[in-house]
Amino acid sequence: MKHRYLFSFIIMLSMTFGMTACNDDDGLTVTPKNELQNDVIKRTLGPNMVGLNIEFAYAMAIPKSLGKLVSAQVEASIGGAEGTYLDNKSYYTNGSGQDVGIEVGSASVNNGSKTTVTFTKDTIAATLRYFYRIPNAARGQEVTFKFSANASNGQTVTYSMGPYKIAQMDMVLDLDVKDSTAAYISIADMAVYGPADAAAKADKIDLVYLYRSIPNITFNHALVAPSSKEYLPGVKLPAGVTRSAKISKVWALRDQQLARLQFGVFIDDLDFQQLSIADAPDFAINMRAEAGAWVETADGKYRAYIYINSINNTTKSAKISMKRYALK
Amino acid sequence: MLKYIRLIGAVMLTATAMLACKEDFPVDEDGLLITGRTQCYVSNFELLGSDLQTVRTKNAVVDTVAQTVDVEVFYGTDLKNLRPQFSLVTDAKLEPKITGKVDFSDLANPKKYTVISGNRQIKKTYTVKITVQKP
Repeated sequence: MKHRYLFSFIIMLSMTFGMTACNDDDGLTVTPKNELQNDVIKRTLGPNMVGLNIEFAYAMAIPKSLGKLVSAQVEASIGGAEGTYLDNKSYYTNGSGQDVGIEVGSASVNNGSKTTVTFTKDTIAATLRYFYRIPNAARGQEVTFKFSANASNGQTVTYSMGPYKIAQMDMVLDLDVKDSTAAYISIADMAVYGPADAAAKADKIDLVYLYRSIPNITFNHALVAPSSKEYLPGVKLPAGVTRSAKISKVWALRDQQLARLQFGVFIDDLDFQQLSIADAPDFAINMRAEAGAWVETADGKYRAYIYINSINNTTKSAKISMKRYALK
Repeated sequence: MLKYIRLIGAVMLTATAMLACKEDFPVDEDGLLITGRTQCYVSNFELLGSDLQTVRTKNAVVDTVAQTVDVEVFYGTDLKNLRPQFSLVTDAKLEPKITGKVDFSDLANPKKYTVISGNRQIKKTYTVKITVQKP
């Protein structure tokens, strides 16, 4: 009886070992491919916006015995805007952490939606950076990229990237606003106007920037819709500037593209689509640096996020950046 | 063989005994524990704006006798989109529940919140009176 249990136990034990036994393949040994190879990484993060770059690093290599690199090219499904290029330098990072470029080919040539670099140096391995300047034609669409490299032995390799969604929204950076002089902000134009221009474009003025230092209260820097007279003390609005807007104050939403700070936060189309500020007031006072405000125009055409990059109490001015999404 | 059956039986009995339910603690309709505490008051009050920053100009005055919370907010506070936060005595709960933004713009009719004690027997209604800072 005793032996029977012992026997079963041993059988069980051996089965357990058998099931968890190691495989010969340790996953560490790689047999190198003896051919032209390539790889791509996307370097830019965040929403892809018209006018900005999408950056890739395209790596290619061929064993020395087989030949050398002849050319590298990238084809975008929608041709890039002016400023699209494939870098003709291959980079390495030096001891101080700086990227150092070594020229390996002629400057890239754009032919339609294709960008090509022809190697001029004897090169068997290179990593070229590709900067795709997003054209207006791509707004709201998806873009794909086909990277390819040719070697002197006739081999060609390709690598597809994407699709990448191009955002609908627009962005403008570092608008200078100043109390009473450059104080009239138009979301539609994504611009700041003085009183004279504001009168001429009265139907497009959504916000007034002002700075007030009032005893007993904290007013300071404010974004106020022209309709909100109570919060525009001492402001004589240009004729016709009467529009309202919904303004919702936000703190610490430091979109990386607007703030250019270390925070990995991005406002995308979706944020504007899902924004719900119907019950927001038409003013926001005591705006601080690194704060912001969601804004919806009175006609419901645009939603925007205005970020305060910096403020200056002495000059009664501020620097603002804006992302804007067209609703209709 | 009988020995093994007895052994298994004993093990199962022990396991059942260990997993057996104890007497349930009483919980209310929110699944919160009903305790013996009779204290029923607000210990602190905070009011946040739409940007989740405080809108109080100074500490709120909580009067546990008059059952009022007096709070002064900054000039230019968006009273329609405020987020009140009550600190209550241990085991107490608040009615109505605060789930998000609250509209405090009707200053003539201050909002009322009821604190319910840990034993759920005592209820005290606090009135939140807001005044806006004037220039």
